[in-house]
Amino acid sequence: MRTLSIYGSYFNQFLMSRLAYKWDFFASLIANIVVTLSGLLFIVLLIDGEAVPSLQGWTREEVLFIYGYSMISLALFNTLSPNLYRFGDKYVIEGQFDRVLLRPLNTLCQVLFESFNLESVGSLFVGIWLIFYTGASLGMEFGALDYLWLLVSGISGGIILTSVFVLLASLSFHFQDRLGIGAPVYNLINFGRYPLPIFNNVVQFVLKWVVPFAFVAFFPATHFFSRPGFEFFCYFTPGMAAICLLVAALAWTYGVSKYTSTGS
Amino acid sequence: MSGIIKLEELTKTYRSFNRREGVWGSVKDLLHRDYFDVKAVDGISLDVPEGELLGYIGPNGAGKSTSIKMLTGILKPSSGSMQVNGYHPFRDRKAYTRQIGVVFGQRTQLWWDIAVIESFRLLSKIYDVRQVDFDARLKNLSEILELEALLRLPVRKLSLGQRMRCDLAASLLHNPKLLFLDEPTIGLDAVAKDSIRDFLRAINRDFGTTIILTTHDLKEIEELCQRIVVLDKGKIIYDGSLVKVKAMPGLKRSIVIDFAGKAPLEELSTLFQGRAQFSLQSERRLVGEFAPEQLPAAEVVRTVLDRHEVADLTITEPSIEQVIVKLYRDGANGSRVAGNG
Repeated sequence: MRTLSIYGSYFNQFLMSRLAYKWDFFASLIANIVVTLSGLLFIVLLIDGEAVPSLQGWTREEVLFIYGYSMISLALFNTLSPNLYRFGDKYVIEGQFDRVLLRPLNTLCQVLFESFNLESVGSLFVGIWLIFYTGASLGMEFGALDYLWLLVSGISGGIILTSVFVLLASLSFHFQDRLGIGAPVYNLINFGRYPLPIFNNVVQFVLKWVVPFAFVAFFPATHFFSRPGFEFFCYFTPGMAAICLLVAALAWTYGVSKYTSTGS
Repeated sequence: MSGIIKLEELTKTYRSFNRREGVWGSVKDLLHRDYFDVKAVDGISLDVPEGELLGYIGPNGAGKSTSIKMLTGILKPSSGSMQVNGYHPFRDRKAYTRQIGVVFGQRTQLWWDIAVIESFRLLSKIYDVRQVDFDARLKNLSEILELEALLRLPVRKLSLGQRMRCDLAASLLHNPKLLFLDEPTIGLDAVAKDSIRDFLRAINRDFGTTIILTTHDLKEIEELCQRIVVLDKGKIIYDGSLVKVKAMPGLKRSIVIDFAGKAPLEELSTLFQGRAQFSLQSERRLVGEFAPEQLPAAEVVRTVLDRHEVADLTITEPSIEQVIVKLYRDGANGSRVAGNG
């Protein structure tokens, strides 16, 4: 409880300094919504019902539903992740991690809670709207358990995404050279936002077992479809989140013990 | 009595590699690296009693920062054992950081964009400081460090000296038993340096806070510390009192004599025959130096006053700079200067 309230204060501090530049914040929020909507527009224009009626049998509504589903986890991840991208530069090479280690708190939580991408909440609202809009046109009915699953899988998906980037960030403890590995992995997230069967076997394998982004939106979203063949993986998302978190935490802890700080 | 800090054979080894030159060299570095080990800290043993104000000095690259970072739990030692106030700084990091205050002159602990007082509040929350204690300490600290006018400003608007005063206050809000200061007065003007020095003396005296101070400013060390530890190339080359190190053989006192008449350079040079070296600074002023173990100051003064009319005479002890330079030279020859006992 006390720990939660400390991180609440971290968030407040960030909010105060972020709102010191409030026009910048509003501009970013609008930019975020525009970028989110343009991603949608791409799908709407691609699967136009005439030239491309569906993606290997997945209709426009189904694809949009999965895409909207991914936005919940992605919004959560994007909100928390800004410090993970610049972790190597800002914390390891510049030596700011010293300060983190000097406080009686968990180091990873401090890094995550020192900066947020608040404007990402824009895409959260777009995602929720999209789920219910396409859900309605697909004839879905949402019960209490469905809402619960949406919440649990959304948070688990956010944990999977965050864990993958925590693992990548923890490499900065070992290689002080700047590794340009974050951007390509980030692009892989987009593959996880489409129906998995449209990809070839190699990509499917990677999205399941290497960077498990298929568990972020596609598998949990199949709960809402009446398509057979996904029963096994559909509810594995929380388990995958636990595995990812464990691996990331181990890699992080090992990385901290190799931290060398800066020269002075 | 057992000390609050106990280090035994503490060592930190970094793995490094030879970087090849040029673009092609960097490409080759990616494929194969010639690794070698650097011992930044090489078997340090130290015992510091509670309440001491210890000066920790050494040239750049001597291992000062690395050892301070091990002492503050930032770096994991490669080997050796350490215990500070009953904790292992790295292993027990979360519990240990509650016991210590840390100020690194080069970077601030405070949040850049928010008011100083907000940073203080958040820190006291992190360190679990009770409201009454917080209020009392803040009142006390802002009186001594004159923070009243700064508390409402964001850190980015503070001058270096103001920021340092705020950082010092921040490091003491949770009433730590030990205070680590790494170059706390770097870049400050003389007035600011003075006020920080007074402050450190006061908390050491009034609260019995053990203070470990690293600095390049030797005058600061001389004014504050009873005991100094000198590092060079990762090893301790001197550990002992400042007074004793100044009595080390080979250090010279300097003397300045103003004569009523013409300065008798040749006469004095002949009289002391190599035991003191003199030179003329002006027509009436002689400067010279001599080693105390070869020539007692009393003898010099008596001899000069017996023979000449002197307007003024000053003898200066070896400066701390000279002491340190000599220590490094001796250290380079491999001998550790005995200073304890």
